[in-house]
Amino acid sequence: MNTLHVDIQPAHAGTLESSDAFVRVMPNDRAGVEIELESSVAEIYGDAIEASVLQTVLAMNVDRVKVMIQDKGALDFVIKARVQTALLRALGVSEPDWSTL
Amino acid sequence: MVFSEVPPTSKVRRQKIREFLQSVSLEMSEDVETFVVAKEEERIVACGGLSGKVLKNIAIDESIRGEGAALSLMSELLKVAYREGRFELFLFTKPEYQEVFESCGFKYIEQAHGEVILMENSYAIEAYKKRLRKLRHSGDTVGCIVMNANPFTLGHRYLVQEACSRSDWVHLFVVKEDASFFRFEDRYRMIEAGVRDFTNLTLHEGSDYMISKATFPTYFIKDKGRINSLYTELDLAIFRHHLAPPLGITHRFVGEEPLCVVTNEYNMQMKRRLAEASEYPPIELVELKRIAEAGEPISASRVRGAMKENRWDEIARLVPQSTYRLLAAMKEEVE
Repeated sequence: MNTLHVDIQPAHAGTLESSDAFVRVMPNDRAGVEIELESSVAEIYGDAIEASVLQTVLAMNVDRVKVMIQDKGALDFVIKARVQTALLRALGVSEPDWSTL
Repeated sequence: MVFSEVPPTSKVRRQKIREFLQSVSLEMSEDVETFVVAKEEERIVACGGLSGKVLKNIAIDESIRGEGAALSLMSELLKVAYREGRFELFLFTKPEYQEVFESCGFKYIEQAHGEVILMENSYAIEAYKKRLRKLRHSGDTVGCIVMNANPFTLGHRYLVQEACSRSDWVHLFVVKEDASFFRFEDRYRMIEAGVRDFTNLTLHEGSDYMISKATFPTYFIKDKGRINSLYTELDLAIFRHHLAPPLGITHRFVGEEPLCVVTNEYNMQMKRRLAEASEYPPIELVELKRIAEAGEPISASRVRGAMKENRWDEIARLVPQSTYRLLAAMKEEVE
C-alpha cells in the first residue's frame, strides 16, 4: 500500500542551463497535480513533457502539488530526474522508493 | 565561469562588486544581503544580489553577454534565494530585459512609463486577486485606505471614521513592509484595536504588491529626479489595475500633507493617475484635512518625537486609548 503524500515543502532541482530543466514544486491548496510548463520546445513536445511529469509525480504518490518547470530543451529522462529530485527534497527524503520508479 | 557567494560581511569582495557594477554603469544597492558573482580568470564578469524577496543588481559584462551567461547566473541566484526560504521573488528591470527574465520563470506584473517593469516568479498575484474578490462588498461608494500607522494616531482614526461614514464599505490595508519604527505586527495590532467599532470595514494585511519606497530599486535609473515619479506610477498602476478591481474600489482616502513636500506630490500624482482615462474604472481621491491638537497637526512623527522625549501626557492627547495602552506596554517591555 502506498500512502498519498500531501504534506510537502517547497523545493527545487535543476538549472536554467541549456539542455537542462529548472523544476520547482510547491504545496497547492487544490487536490491533484498542477503543472505549469514553460519550454523552448513547448509547441512540439509540450504535451508529451506534461504527460511524463504527471506520470512521475503520480508514481511518487504526491498530491496537492504545483510543479513549475522551465525547460531548456532537456531530454525526457533529465526532466523526469529533476522532477523526482525536487519531489524527494520536498518530502524531505534522501532515497527514492526505487520499486515505484 | 566560476560562481561564488559574497556575504554582507565581506567588505573587500563587496568593494570589487561595486567596481564591477560601476564598469557597467550601475550603482550598488546597499540593501543587498548576499551577492552571487561569476568570475573568469579572477575577474568578475557577472553578479546578482538578493535583498529580501527582491533580486537586485543583476549585471553581466558585455564580453560574455548572451542568454547562456544570464541563465547560469540566474540559476545560482535562485538557488541561494530558495535555500534562504524565499520562494516568491520579485525583480524590477528595464522593459528590454523582460524576455531574458521570462526565460528564467519570471512573469510581468506591471510597468511604469516604459522605463521600469516589475516581475515576479510565482504569479501569486493571480491567487491574491482571487482572495480579494471573495472579500468584495457591493455598494456605490467602496473606499480604500492604505495605512502605515507608525504609530496609529487620532489622525488615522479620523481618516478611517470619515471614510467609513462616507462609504458603503471600506477596505483598510496595513503596509506590511518592516521599514518603520514600529514592526508590522505592532502597527497591525494598534490599528485593529483602534478601529474595532466600525462595522463597515475590512482590515487587510498589506501584501508584496504594495511596493514600498524602501525596496524600490534605483540603481538602474539614470535620472535620479525621476525615481519618485516612476515609483509612484508603478505603485499606483498596480493598485488601479490589480488591487482595486477585485474589490470594486471607487474611492481612495488619504490625509492631506501640509508638511511633507514628497507626500504632497505623491497625493497630487495619485489624484491624477487614479482618475485618468484608461480601460480600468476611475478611482476618486478624497483628501481629508488633518486634525490638529494644540494648533499643530497630529502626525505619527509627532508622536514618535514625543516618545523620544517621554512626553506621555502629550502622547495621550494624540493617540486613541487603545494605542496608548499598547505603547505603554511596549515601553515597559523595553525597560
